[in-house]
Amino acid sequence: MTKKTKTLVLALGLGVLVAGCGHPSNISKETAHGMANARMESMIDSKADNPVHTVVMPHDEPVFPPGPGRDEFVTACVVCHSPRYITMQPRFSRSTWLSEVNKMKDVYGAHISDEQALKITDYLFSINGKAGRGQGPKGTYGE
Amino acid sequence: MNRRGFLQLMGVTGVAALAASCNRINSTVGTLSSPTNLVRFPEKTEMILLTDRPPQLETPIHYFRQDLTPNEAFFVRWHLEGIPTSVDLRSFRLNVSGHVRHPLQISVDELRSQFEPISIIAVNQCSGNSRSFFEPRVPGGQWKHGAVGNAKWTGVPVKSILDRAQVKSGAVDVSFNGLDVPPLPSVSDFVKALSIDHARDGEVMIAYAMNDQALPMVNGFPLRLVVPGWYGTYWVKALSDITVLPQPFSNFWTDKAYRIPNAPNGTESPKDLAKDTVPINKFNVRSIFVRPDPNEILHPGMQTEIEGVAFDSGYGIRRVEVSTDGGANWADARLDPEIGKYSWRRWRMPWTPRNRGQYRLMARATNAVGETQSKEQWNRSGFMWNVIQNVDVKVG
Repeated sequence: MTKKTKTLVLALGLGVLVAGCGHPSNISKETAHGMANARMESMIDSKADNPVHTVVMPHDEPVFPPGPGRDEFVTACVVCHSPRYITMQPRFSRSTWLSEVNKMKDVYGAHISDEQALKITDYLFSINGKAGRGQGPKGTYGE
Repeated sequence: MNRRGFLQLMGVTGVAALAASCNRINSTVGTLSSPTNLVRFPEKTEMILLTDRPPQLETPIHYFRQDLTPNEAFFVRWHLEGIPTSVDLRSFRLNVSGHVRHPLQISVDELRSQFEPISIIAVNQCSGNSRSFFEPRVPGGQWKHGAVGNAKWTGVPVKSILDRAQVKSGAVDVSFNGLDVPPLPSVSDFVKALSIDHARDGEVMIAYAMNDQALPMVNGFPLRLVVPGWYGTYWVKALSDITVLPQPFSNFWTDKAYRIPNAPNGTESPKDLAKDTVPINKFNVRSIFVRPDPNEILHPGMQTEIEGVAFDSGYGIRRVEVSTDGGANWADARLDPEIGKYSWRRWRMPWTPRNRGQYRLMARATNAVGETQSKEQWNRSGFMWNVIQNVDVKVG
C-alpha cells in the first residue's frame, strides 16, 4: 500500500470516527430488555466491479458489571476478544474458569501474570460462576 | 496487497469500525446464560450472535429448509481477532511455496482463468456444532445445531495447483494459512495442514465461489479451502499461503487444539479423560430436524410433514428412521434424491398426530457403511456431536 493510500484510508477512518460519535448514545431500554431485537450496524462499500473489497465490522460488545478483578479482565482479556466469549458460556465452577484463564495464559499466549490470573478468575466466577465446589470440566483448545 | 499493506489497512479500518459504532453499543448484561441476539454483519442476514470479536455467527435453522444454505446465512467462525476486512484483488496473491520446484504467486483472476474449475456441493460443519447440548457442559462456542451449512463450492483442486508448482519428492504435509492474524505476537497464527495425499486427492479445492457468488468477507473472501467430508477447522478462510512440507506439520492448532479422543466417535468419560488423542478429521453421521419448528403448534387429525437433513463424510445417507413417540417405535422417512456425495440429504415423513398432547420426535440416520448416530456421547472439547436429536412438540 502506498503512503498516499494509507493517508486516505486513515482520513476516511477518522471521518467515520467523528461521524459515528456525533450521535446520542443508545445504550438504553433496549439493553435492559436483553437486546432481543438489537441489530448491529454494518456497512459494505464495495461494488461488484471494484477490485478493492472492504467491509466494516460492527462493534457490539457487552458492558460488564463491576466486580472483583474487573480491571484485570478488561486489561488482559479484551485486547484479544470480546467479553461475549464469557457471556455466551454457561455458568462454570471456579476450577473451570481458572483452567480457562490458565489456558489463555499458558497456551494461547495472553500476557497475564499468575496474580492477574487469579483476579480474572475471581471476576469470571463472580459474573458467571456456578455455585458449589464441583469439579467442572477442564477446558481444552480450539473449541 | 502484501501482508504488511493488508495489516496496515486492517488496523485503520479497525479504528474506523470501532468509531463507526461507538455509540451503538448494546449490552446483554442480565442475560449472561443464553443470549439469543440476532445480529447483522456485513454481507450477512440476521444471524444468531455467539461472539462479535472475532465473530462467531450461527445460522437460524429455518434456512436448512433449502438444500443450499444462502451465503448471507452461512455460519461464521473465526479464531483470531485480526480478521481480514479489506482485500485488494489487484495485489492479492495465493502463494504456493516450500517443497516445490516452482513457487507460485497466483491472482484470483489467474486462478479463475488458467485452471480447470470444479464444483462440489458439500457440507461444512464446525467441529463444535451442537456443543451446548453436551452434558456436563464444556467451555467453548456454545453452538446449537446451526454451525453447519451446505453450499455449492466452485474453484480449483489443490492438486492442479500443486502439479503446476511441481512438488518435490519426499513431501509429507501441506499447510494452509489465511489472511487472519493473531492479536499478539505470542499467539499462534491459525494454520492447518493436510497430508500430501489428501491435499492431492482432486477433491480438496480452493473455492472462489460459493453458490455461484463471491464469498462473503466473513466466510473467507476471496478464497477458501474446501475439504469435503472434513470438519470446518480445515476449511481455511481467506486462504493466502500454501506450503508443501518435507516433514510432518506441527503447530498449536494441530498439536494441542482440535483433537479428539482416539476412540469410537471421539467419546470419553468426564471421569476418565482419554490420554490418546488424534486430530479431528471426518464428519460422523448425523441428522438435524428442520421441521416442525419447536414453537409450532400442531393440530390433532391434521397431517404435517416432519423434515430434516442428514449427512456424513461422503459414504452417503441410506436410511433415516423417525420416531414420534420418544423412541418406542420407528418408521423409515422418505429420502430426497442425493444431490452430491458430500451434500446433505433431505428426508421427510408425513405425520398425522391423533391426540392432543406432547410428542417427542426423534430421527436417526444411517450411512452406506452402516454407521449410525449415538445414543450418548461426551468429550472435553464438545466436538463431533451426533446424538440422536429429540424435538418436543405440542399438539393442541
